[in-house]
Amino acid sequence: MTTVGIIANPVSGKDIRRLVAHGSVFDNQEKVRIVRRLLMGLEAVGVRRVVYMPDYYAIVDRALRGCSPQLELVPIPMELENSQDDSTRAGRWIEDQGVGCVLVLGGDGTCRAVAKGLVEVPMLPISTGTNNVFPYLIEATIAGLAAGLVASGRVPKELGAYRAARLEVLEQTRVVDSALVDVAVYNDRFIGSRAIWEVDKVAKLFLTRCSPASIGLSSIGGQLLTLAPAAPQGLYLELGYGATVVTAAIAPGLLQAVRIGRSRLLQVNETVPVGLAPCVLALDGERELEVHSSRALSVRYSAQGPYVVDVTATMSQAQRLNLMVQRGPVEADPAQ
Amino acid sequence: MSVSNDQMIEMLRTMTRIRQFETRVQEFFAAGKIPGFVHLYIGEEAVATGACGTLGATDYITSTHRGHGHLIAKGGDLKLMMAEIFGRRTGYCKGKGGSMHIAAVELGILGANGIVGGGGPIANGAALAAKYRGTDQVVVCFFGDGASNQGTTQEALNLASAWKLPVVFVNENNGYGISCPTCKSMAVADIADRAAAYDIPGVVVDGNDVLAVYEAVAEAVKRARAGAGPSLIECKTYRWRGHFEGDACVYRDDQELADWVKKDPLQRFENKLLADGLLDAAKVESIRQEVARELDAAVAFAEQSPLPEAAEVLEDVYA
Repeated sequence: MTTVGIIANPVSGKDIRRLVAHGSVFDNQEKVRIVRRLLMGLEAVGVRRVVYMPDYYAIVDRALRGCSPQLELVPIPMELENSQDDSTRAGRWIEDQGVGCVLVLGGDGTCRAVAKGLVEVPMLPISTGTNNVFPYLIEATIAGLAAGLVASGRVPKELGAYRAARLEVLEQTRVVDSALVDVAVYNDRFIGSRAIWEVDKVAKLFLTRCSPASIGLSSIGGQLLTLAPAAPQGLYLELGYGATVVTAAIAPGLLQAVRIGRSRLLQVNETVPVGLAPCVLALDGERELEVHSSRALSVRYSAQGPYVVDVTATMSQAQRLNLMVQRGPVEADPAQ
Repeated sequence: MSVSNDQMIEMLRTMTRIRQFETRVQEFFAAGKIPGFVHLYIGEEAVATGACGTLGATDYITSTHRGHGHLIAKGGDLKLMMAEIFGRRTGYCKGKGGSMHIAAVELGILGANGIVGGGGPIANGAALAAKYRGTDQVVVCFFGDGASNQGTTQEALNLASAWKLPVVFVNENNGYGISCPTCKSMAVADIADRAAAYDIPGVVVDGNDVLAVYEAVAEAVKRARAGAGPSLIECKTYRWRGHFEGDACVYRDDQELADWVKKDPLQRFENKLLADGLLDAAKVESIRQEVARELDAAVAFAEQSPLPEAAEVLEDVYA
């Protein structure tokens, strides 16, 4: 039976960037409506079972109050800690169960947390966060279709998904954390409200991808070059000095001039020392690790990120295979 | 947002002061030495400390029935507070207000408040006055999750936004209004979600992380001082004690409390400062001892102070 997972983060879209920038307000009721549309899409392509992460807002349960899909919905058996670890543990459970695909509702931070639990199961991330580089701004009905098609194998994973790059934070040779889009070496001493908006405190920046049309820290590199999500190269930048100044959209509605010093491409498995302590490492735009003077960390560009459903590629394949088309006998044109 | 070493150590001292103050009140209330009701703030110290740490001497706060922590963080005198809670003539309200009505206008403390949701309109009034006078004062309005369901609070949010008043609404969401869990009293889980209805920023922060609270409130204060109007900061936290002292807490289980005690905001901040090398264990202990001596003096002052005379019963009564 084709099974799809849903991990919807009730906390995404509520951080301090509503205060220091102009971050969109994403209330949980909108996530409920997104899940309803996902379920409709999943049902339409023959998915029969959905497993989901429980959460304090009961996003999926509330979604079912407004629709009645012919789906078996099963909460993942887990105790909630009401932290990002919930998303990681839910991702790991989904991986262990061999679920066909997982839909993730959140921002870059949520996607990072889920991806830490995944190896082979492809994810389809839908943006409900703040700086949305990794997840798609996409209509959920279509996301449901695409996830269902990949989960059922009607669109093979190798055609409908790509393997993203990631950045691994290493302590000697041990991976202590990872990021999907960016790692920033932040010149401060505490995590606090987590988000990054004071770009003058970013001393170094590692990127897996960048585009001139994206937002967040990766937009800094995006003004210089484009790196596709699955490209075999990342980017390393040193900030705060140098003759090159780019204007970048650091957060929604927040543009800043950023001075760029040394920069170079990163090759797969290349490792660069963090080289600043004390500092804080921000992963995908959120301060995560306080690094004390005694700790020597490095960052490795890796090709072993999660599989990610490419919605356009998946739906294009569905079009080629007529997966959404039924053809009956030719009828006479009533106008004739 | 930078925070100096001295600021961080002062925050730890304030949190320690609140914790020890409340622990003393708990003991003396159990011993029958304190009249009336007391609502303790143990477990929520990071909110008051982080929020008030962003304010200057001329800024204002409005408080709640669970107000001891707010008052201490805004500079309330421990002796005068303890005397008031003991019902003594030397207290902030001459012993006639008690725990829920301590006010110190000279410190910008516009009163604890026994009325749930009573603070919002008062905060707006002070903010309107500041705006009218052309000062850059701001008001922090503390309110709980129960108060967030009161019309007064929603009316205050609306008017503060419509008039762009310099108010920072700091919500302490400790999960319960008296004995009712928020999941049974609210259609939404995040009070910050309501900010959008008033076209103001709404932010959720970890209310057990003093630096997270400080950072968010500091940005909101900066915004208010610049004339950009109010903000709503929701701090997720938990009260370790019951709604009031003597509450049997039959509405929550022990495991829930135990889970939150593991997130002790004071211990967590202490651990951070130790790990950062800002303090060593001896310095932490000396802060604890210094605060304990302050409280010894406050309790002695309260116990040695006289009760109000019966003849004073109608003095300072306005209604």
